[in-house]
Amino acid sequence: MIRSVIKTTLPILFGFLPLGIAFGILFQELGYPWYFATLMGICVYAGAAQFMAVGMLGAGVGLFEIAISTFFLNSRHLFYGLALLNSFGAWGLRKFYLIFGLTDETYALMTTITVPKEFNRERYYFLITLFSQSYWVLGCSIGALASSSLDFNTEGMDFAATALFTVLLIEQWLKVRKPLPFVVAFGSSCITLILFFQHMLLAAIVLSITTIIVLRFIKSKKND
Amino acid sequence: MTDISYLLLVMLVMTVATYATRLAPFMLFSRGQERPLINFIAKNTPPMVMTILVIYMLKGVNYSSFEGVYTFIALLVTVVFHLYRRNALLSIIAGTAVYMVAVQM
Repeated sequence: MIRSVIKTTLPILFGFLPLGIAFGILFQELGYPWYFATLMGICVYAGAAQFMAVGMLGAGVGLFEIAISTFFLNSRHLFYGLALLNSFGAWGLRKFYLIFGLTDETYALMTTITVPKEFNRERYYFLITLFSQSYWVLGCSIGALASSSLDFNTEGMDFAATALFTVLLIEQWLKVRKPLPFVVAFGSSCITLILFFQHMLLAAIVLSITTIIVLRFIKSKKND
Repeated sequence: MTDISYLLLVMLVMTVATYATRLAPFMLFSRGQERPLINFIAKNTPPMVMTILVIYMLKGVNYSSFEGVYTFIALLVTVVFHLYRRNALLSIIAGTAVYMVAVQM
């Protein structure tokens, strides 16, 4: 099972390692001991929010403002959980960790791949989450520890995230085979890109879900 | 308040705020219940989110420079590999390798 999980999460490794290293390097400039970057990767575990935090820590922003910004920055996760309500099994420590470790990347993997028949799904998901977070923590630590002496040029490695989402998009298409959600999402993205370029991710998710609910409502009215 | 305790408090606050966004749907809706609307949303979000994530990743690219060309080529390599071989890992490695070589040249 571990071999299969490593193979499945390798694209996440390529995405998380350079991003984590970039975070570690940035974090190091604040002047804290390196292991706080590790600690942040372990307990916060949110890419964009951690980058935001570096800026806010540097500026000494208030705790309340940081809490609100973090919540809104990550609020797309509110919708991710909905698609996984039935996949995470019964309540227990494992489920709490699966929820804790829900990121764009693990969400994308879990909603797209089919777990090989011979493995228990919840255990498989657990290992996916655990490995993904380990890659992230490793990246944060390496970046903070070795910020001045890194030789390997990771420039461009972050394309792995784009490639991963592209591959999963193709897989979603092969699975769903209905153009509607893709068209709605594309339209919503275009509109929100124009309206709120920086915050298009959450805006597009909200707009596309609203649109598809409205469309369903109109369709059911017609059938009455 | 010392610097380290400020940092620790920030981390605590961020951990709670992030976990709240991830935990909320699981707290609000129990599993296995028949909720047509929630099931409808659950079924449609993955294809929509994947579309949006790809566009989100591509929005920061500077299309008037070589970066745009490299991104286009790497994306094409990823898609073509995936349509022919349907091996996710292979497609991602191929696309990323092409992109890395291109930007580091």
